[in-house]
Amino acid sequence: MLDEIVARYRAGDRLALARLLTLIARGEELEAVHAALASASNKALVVAITGSAGVGKSTLVGRLAEHLRAGNKTVAVLACDPQSPLTGGALLGDRVRMPSRPEDAGLYIRSVAATSGNQALAEHLELMTRALAAFGFDVILLETVGAGQGDTAARSLSDVLVVLVQPESGDELQWEKAGLLEVADVVVVHKADMAGAERTQAQVKELLGLPGCRPIPVLAVSSTKNTGFDELWATISAQPRRLDAAASDAGSLLRRAQQILAERFHDRATSLAPLVERWKRHEVDETQAADELLSVLSR
Amino acid sequence: MPRSCESPAGASPSPARILADLPNVVPLTQNMEHSAPLRIVLAKVGLDGHDRGVKVVSRALRDAGFHVIYPGLWQSPEAVVRTVADEDADWLGISLLSGTHMTLVPRILEMLGAAGLKHVGVLVGGIIPETDIPKLKALGVARVFGPGTPLDEIVEFLRHEGSRTHA
Repeated sequence: MLDEIVARYRAGDRLALARLLTLIARGEELEAVHAALASASNKALVVAITGSAGVGKSTLVGRLAEHLRAGNKTVAVLACDPQSPLTGGALLGDRVRMPSRPEDAGLYIRSVAATSGNQALAEHLELMTRALAAFGFDVILLETVGAGQGDTAARSLSDVLVVLVQPESGDELQWEKAGLLEVADVVVVHKADMAGAERTQAQVKELLGLPGCRPIPVLAVSSTKNTGFDELWATISAQPRRLDAAASDAGSLLRRAQQILAERFHDRATSLAPLVERWKRHEVDETQAADELLSVLSR
Repeated sequence: MPRSCESPAGASPSPARILADLPNVVPLTQNMEHSAPLRIVLAKVGLDGHDRGVKVVSRALRDAGFHVIYPGLWQSPEAVVRTVADEDADWLGISLLSGTHMTLVPRILEMLGAAGLKHVGVLVGGIIPETDIPKLKALGVARVFGPGTPLDEIVEFLRHEGSRTHA
């Protein structure tokens, strides 16, 4: 089944892309999907957008997507909303704030249910991003769930991480506390049409502009008035691409090895079960069991 | 003074750290055994601003473990079909309280067919006269849920039917 989907996907079939993304999101056939995408081109610019709940991530992503389409760049959006840790259910409502362009083949929006703090999320999102890049989208906008711990992952998944803040979020001490600003490549003071935006921008600039720090652009953007998007895109484009640099470091190799291991644990769960049973019955000791387990996993 | 300028998050984790994380991959894979949640698009189509019902249903389906995609009010049939396609939905629920169901539902069904999405199950909810229900079913609507339908009935129906997409 996967072969047929991949063949259609390679031929540019959008429904096959949608199905492939579903498989990846569900963690099904990851090894095969990885293999299918291994040699695919990966020229897309991946921009992650994060910030606290209600700061306007979906709205800004929607506006930015329209801006990019006006400039003839094709855009894919992966919009994450939280999934209930209790029921596994999710209400994915980011599309409400995104442009509706049903005739436009150059825009693809996909809602993703995300569990917070789960490494699998990062894994699946990375592969989804690659599937979209290989399909030919120029820019991939990755909208995170409201900011929190998961944003470290957003950074490692993206070329450029944009952090949104909004006016009237407290005094300057709040910016000192907010660990999120540390990981930003670009900071946007969103809702810049609101009172207090200039002061917020000045405070964040002052915090990030201390001597010796790498300079981080702090921009004012208003989605309501549709202002600041030219500058935002120019700034994003001018940032060095993190994924290019990361591709060759040792950390990424080990991370990939870990992913492969996780996939094999999953795919070969049935062949591991008898081994675990034998170990429970003390028929093999831990070292032997571990050796056998490794040989199952390395096949 | 702020923390160090180059964030720790920016640096690659050390090999030792990654290896230390390895055991975490095992419990993580165990979670994957559950059946994948059904994806359902709930849509308000045309000039119909009554969204209380669709929001109640969204909440109920969310709490029952479904993944609900809600694209908002005033969707065109084209936009609905595009959403169903890109989201790879198993089901589409259309909420109509404006009396336009005999115009909009057939159009959406036809467009789903043309888009290669015949496998997507279609539900209709809202104010639908009794006499129109057989007509909608004849067109391919799986069920029509009127006012007062217990939420459990919708949940049970979807659980029973499952996915026609991902068999």
